[in-house]
Amino acid sequence: MRVIWSIAATTVGEAVRRRVLLIILLVGLLLLTIAPALGQLSARQETTVLKGFMLGMIQLTSAVIALVLTVYMIPNEIERRTIYTILSKPVQRWQFLLGKYFGAVLALALMMSLMTAVQLLIFFIQQGEIAMELARAPALFFVQMSLLAAVAIFFSTFVSPLVNFFLSGGIYLVGSVLSPLVDTLAQSRGTTPAAKIGVQVLSTVVPNFSSYNVQNPIINPGQQIQNESWYYTMVTVYGLFYVGILLVAGILIFDRREV
Amino acid sequence: MRTKRTLLLVLMAAFFVGQGFLHHSAIFPRWRKDYSANQGSLGTAGLNPDQLLFALIGLREFVAGILWVRADSFFDTGNYDAILPIIRLVTWLDPKQIDVYATGMWHIGYNFTDEDQRSDRRYIPSALALGKEGARQNPHTYEMFFETGWMWYHKIDDDYDRAVEWFLKAHERPDMLPARKNLLSNAYQRAGEVDKAAELYFDLHKAAVKRVQNEPEVFGHLQNLETLENNLDTMLVRMVQRGYVAKNRNDGSFETGAYDVNPPFDVGFSAKVTVVEPRVIQIEGTWNVLPVGTRVRAVLRDADYETDKAAALHWDKTSSVNLDPPRDKTFMQEQLFVKNRRFNRTIDMSKDPTMYPFTSKDYVLEFYYNPRSAPPHIQDKFGWSGEGMTDKNFLNTEVRPGQRVVYTKMSLTREQLLRQGEWNPIDGKVPILRTKNYVEAGQSAQDDLIIVPQLRGAGQ
Repeated sequence: MRVIWSIAATTVGEAVRRRVLLIILLVGLLLLTIAPALGQLSARQETTVLKGFMLGMIQLTSAVIALVLTVYMIPNEIERRTIYTILSKPVQRWQFLLGKYFGAVLALALMMSLMTAVQLLIFFIQQGEIAMELARAPALFFVQMSLLAAVAIFFSTFVSPLVNFFLSGGIYLVGSVLSPLVDTLAQSRGTTPAAKIGVQVLSTVVPNFSSYNVQNPIINPGQQIQNESWYYTMVTVYGLFYVGILLVAGILIFDRREV
Repeated sequence: MRTKRTLLLVLMAAFFVGQGFLHHSAIFPRWRKDYSANQGSLGTAGLNPDQLLFALIGLREFVAGILWVRADSFFDTGNYDAILPIIRLVTWLDPKQIDVYATGMWHIGYNFTDEDQRSDRRYIPSALALGKEGARQNPHTYEMFFETGWMWYHKIDDDYDRAVEWFLKAHERPDMLPARKNLLSNAYQRAGEVDKAAELYFDLHKAAVKRVQNEPEVFGHLQNLETLENNLDTMLVRMVQRGYVAKNRNDGSFETGAYDVNPPFDVGFSAKVTVVEPRVIQIEGTWNVLPVGTRVRAVLRDADYETDKAAALHWDKTSSVNLDPPRDKTFMQEQLFVKNRRFNRTIDMSKDPTMYPFTSKDYVLEFYYNPRSAPPHIQDKFGWSGEGMTDKNFLNTEVRPGQRVVYTKMSLTREQLLRQGEWNPIDGKVPILRTKNYVEAGQSAQDDLIIVPQLRGAGQ
């Protein structure tokens, strides 16, 4: 466990020193600060647009950070040959992979916490109220991004960073429309049974990122939701299952890979 | 080593089964109910991939807001067609934008007209579908229920029981504005449910008195109370004058008393239709009532147009918003304004071939008069449901059960309407249709004189 923790801590240190990540974070924060001005664009919907834009920005920025952070992680270590130094010590490959993943997740947690804090501050300045409900969506976004990081880490064990970026990004986009797609097809009379089964299979195989998009009732208050914490727990467990699958698969592949 | 791999594979399989079970049994049903931006399917057909992408990256409300601002400029320039896809897109991106639903519904229902400002009523089922969708997406507020009710009450102006249904749903919402609650009583009256209308007025009055007592400084409360007192007063007088109270006593006093609706008055409807030019018809006729305000509905439609009742479309036939009305169908509705006991209206459909395509072979021209849609001073004579009205030839109690309406229809062919073949305008015959009782009228100087209403005994 200590080994994993050491690798994770080093990964966090590397992540916060990477300029490209800091620039992405800075752009995200800048976009958050201009959100109040954009809220004026819609009559009677200022607060809705403000909340929707800020949460959207946090999600988008976090997704880009998660991808950029993780796609280079393993390939860079191999390319710079630093992996030889690490693996020559009493470190197992699976410990290395897990350490890298947890490091990425911790770095993500840091950056997302910063964005959430800035969001709450901006909302307080603009609206004069502390809207703690705005922190609920980023909490699930964090689970979502941890899952995305697991997808990217899995692919990084056998594909190049550029291919990984588009592959993981594509899976994220597909996963983000799965629930709306299943919902729409289920209700559409014209959908063939084969198409319905196909989408069901797809939504079982591909990680369902749309389950984490819980911002709707936060942006539009008035909707009554019962036992919200139960849902949050369920999707977190779902995320953990998927992260487990991806990490185990990554370990199995990485174990056999020649470095 | 082999055992370790097998263990890991088993672990993976267990996780896979676990996530699948969790997703399908617990997560997706809850997500659909509580977190989906669209409560139920909106149908995303027609959205471009880039528009879909905006939605995916979590900027739905932002993009929707910008699009709606863009739509505003189209309203200013009168580019109404361009607004339709924006309405669809905005409501899909952000189904909580009630203003867009309400404005969109009004736009679709009211703004598409021909050169003479006749509404293209083929759009109304879509407008209603948008209202229904808006209500489904925003069940916590009264607004879309009220707006949909208003569309039935004001635009369709016939099936008032449907207006009542929607206004009642609006009343169930806690944010319903007190001043708007009066409209339900009006709808009850127009639906012929007079007792319920009076009962509601009493309830509203009681609530208004309480509000004034609690907050005497709020001018709006006082204003609302005065409006209710006035409405209630007028209604009670009408209930007595129209014989409603006497009739419900069942003691014979209605039959012997002097009430406005007793005996029923013969409106003496007759009509003559001439296809004066291709796609231009002239409708003349008689209506034996002097007070201003009578409008007889004339509907010209494809004989096989899907309708659920006479002189109307099947307004509520769809729940899906289709912004493209049936372009191969013709449905024209006009109100014939009665002046000095006659009506004479030329309806020119030649300038709007997209609204009146005349692609079918056979057409029906319907005449319909329902006292429920009449202004109150006419209703004073005819009653809420036509009790005080009759017509020797065209009184009908079947096309609108429970009501006494005037209804008749005539058949026309495409050749007649387009003046083709034996009906050609050069040397052909002129298509003329008449009701049996139609009598040609001589012109007189009085034809341009509108005589001031006189309720009791008017036209007799």
